[in-house]
Amino acid sequence: MNWDDLLLMRHELQLLAVILIVTCAEIYLSGRDKSRIIPLSLALFGIHMAAGWLWPVEGELFGGMYRTNGLIHLMKSILDVGVFIVILQAGGWARKQLAPENRVSEFFLLIWSSLLGMYYMVSAGDLLMVFLGLELSTLPVAALAAYEVLKMRSAEAGIKFILTAGLASAVTLMGISLLYGSTGTFVLADLGKQMQGNSLEALGFIFFFAGVAFKISLVPFHFWTPDVYEGAPVSVAAYLSVISKGAAVFILMILLMGFAPLLTDLWVNVLYLLAILTMTIGNLFALRQRNLKRLLAYSAVAQAGFIMLGFMSSQQDGKASIIYFMLVYLFSNLAAFGVVQTIEMHTGKEDIGDYEGLYRTNPRLSLVMLLALFSLAGIPPLAGFFGKFFLFMTVASAGYYLLLTIAVINTVISLYYYLLIVRAMFLRKSDNPLPLVTSDGWMRAGLVICVAGIVALGVASGVYDAIYALCAHL
Amino acid sequence: MEKIIFYILSAVILSLSLMSVLSRKLLRSAVYLFGVLTAIAGFYFLIGYHFLGAVQLTVYAGGIVVLIIFSILLTHDIDHQMPTPDWSRVAVAGALCVAGAVMFVQLLQGSLFSRVEAPEQSDLNTVGNTLLNPGGGGYLLPFEVVSILLLAVMIGAIVIAKQRHSVDDSSPEKQAP
Repeated sequence: MNWDDLLLMRHELQLLAVILIVTCAEIYLSGRDKSRIIPLSLALFGIHMAAGWLWPVEGELFGGMYRTNGLIHLMKSILDVGVFIVILQAGGWARKQLAPENRVSEFFLLIWSSLLGMYYMVSAGDLLMVFLGLELSTLPVAALAAYEVLKMRSAEAGIKFILTAGLASAVTLMGISLLYGSTGTFVLADLGKQMQGNSLEALGFIFFFAGVAFKISLVPFHFWTPDVYEGAPVSVAAYLSVISKGAAVFILMILLMGFAPLLTDLWVNVLYLLAILTMTIGNLFALRQRNLKRLLAYSAVAQAGFIMLGFMSSQQDGKASIIYFMLVYLFSNLAAFGVVQTIEMHTGKEDIGDYEGLYRTNPRLSLVMLLALFSLAGIPPLAGFFGKFFLFMTVASAGYYLLLTIAVINTVISLYYYLLIVRAMFLRKSDNPLPLVTSDGWMRAGLVICVAGIVALGVASGVYDAIYALCAHL
Repeated sequence: MEKIIFYILSAVILSLSLMSVLSRKLLRSAVYLFGVLTAIAGFYFLIGYHFLGAVQLTVYAGGIVVLIIFSILLTHDIDHQMPTPDWSRVAVAGALCVAGAVMFVQLLQGSLFSRVEAPEQSDLNTVGNTLLNPGGGGYLLPFEVVSILLLAVMIGAIVIAKQRHSVDDSSPEKQAP
């Protein structure tokens, strides 16, 4: 093997280097200097993210166990952007809450290890690497969910997450073993060729799908979502709702659209049903929530249902609409979580009622929240509108008009509860609104990036075209 | 002869796993689990995968079960007996299990499994070469990824167990009497 070939694994090696540098910094910095790790981590990851966008390459390594191409490169870069915003927004929280307890660097290390797992999962050339990546991306998050372990809710979130995740990966493993039993191979490329479309493969695929659906929080597998989001630190909830979900959507896309053409009939029907269930149940439950974290959790479930719409077509437009929607959803959801995090960190309040009259005291935060919610709901000219629009186009061009109708109805329902928050912030008057909250510089930078993303993606049409072109070969 | 041993081992594994799940005392469950893992090692020896069998014995039967037993001994109530579950729950769970088993057996009766050629020799040399071979058929990359996984999980475990200096707790459950 040639050493130059390792450059194919640039993303992973860069991130590994960042992890090792921060580990060394943690070891060699004395107790008082530990809070310097925050700017160091942000700077290192920023460099990694910027360098990650450059020079997409195509190729295979390790006998086909690792593969990469332009599209996979794009997926990793999108995840990078998301993680960068998450840790930017977490900067102030880390300084205030974690630095006195001397647990700053571990937070970053765990998030990055999880991200590394996602890289390997997306780049996997065989089922073994898919599974290892899935595990590496899940297990550190369980520790992150229980990060404020002295809070009962956080500890509960961690336990809940690790038990559900353990069950999900056991089921996934069962599915992989059935697929292996039926085809006799782990390698994804061979798997597609060896498949005969028999019922054993179908069952294996359903089991495998269950494990991934847990991470996307599709409906029968979503029960952990609200509890974990509510208990975990807000940055971790944001990470789960965007990055974790995004990586799972990407791997599902690669497997379904790239390697399992014979099972197309099966999974189109399964996903058709799951998309309807996920959108409807997520939205209906979101209507009843008063706690904003729980509301955003159910809204994240509903959005997962919308993402599934893109799977109705395995053509280029389906792939492009999913990736574009993920990109848009990343900015919108992270902006919403960022505002919730700011308010929670400074006042400890997280109910809708507490947000009444927020516009009078915190006009800028309210404006960011407004943009984020409108983008999540899909109101033009913000990016969220185009994300949903392309997904609906995909469904329509595949001819599923009933599904399209249900999706549109669901959009209206979701608009209702998003507007509830907007009404509380802008129209309601409160005798004692929340005081003026001054967010720290990192959080502000994170929110500015999100808002820029929401607005710019709505205006720039070239982005979708570029993604569409990349989706030509998976 | 091989068939007889196979069926004996299967019977042992099935009955012991059932007992391990159904037993209401923690320590007994752990001991039954030990039996299951040892019997699985028997499978590996039966098909001639001696290295895998040895690993199964040392890592699972030896290491993991001992860890489990240790952690049970460290809990404050070893004799704790799980409460008997409701009959309705038992009925639902039992029905689901039976349905799942029937579905599985039906699927497997079609014998849709494909035959895979086993490598002729599975001595230590081959195992080592395969494990650390970066080229086709080698498992160097998963091997390294597993090591990162272990590192990440250890960091996670440490950070949860780490002593805290300042405690900032505002959760309502904690304050409730």
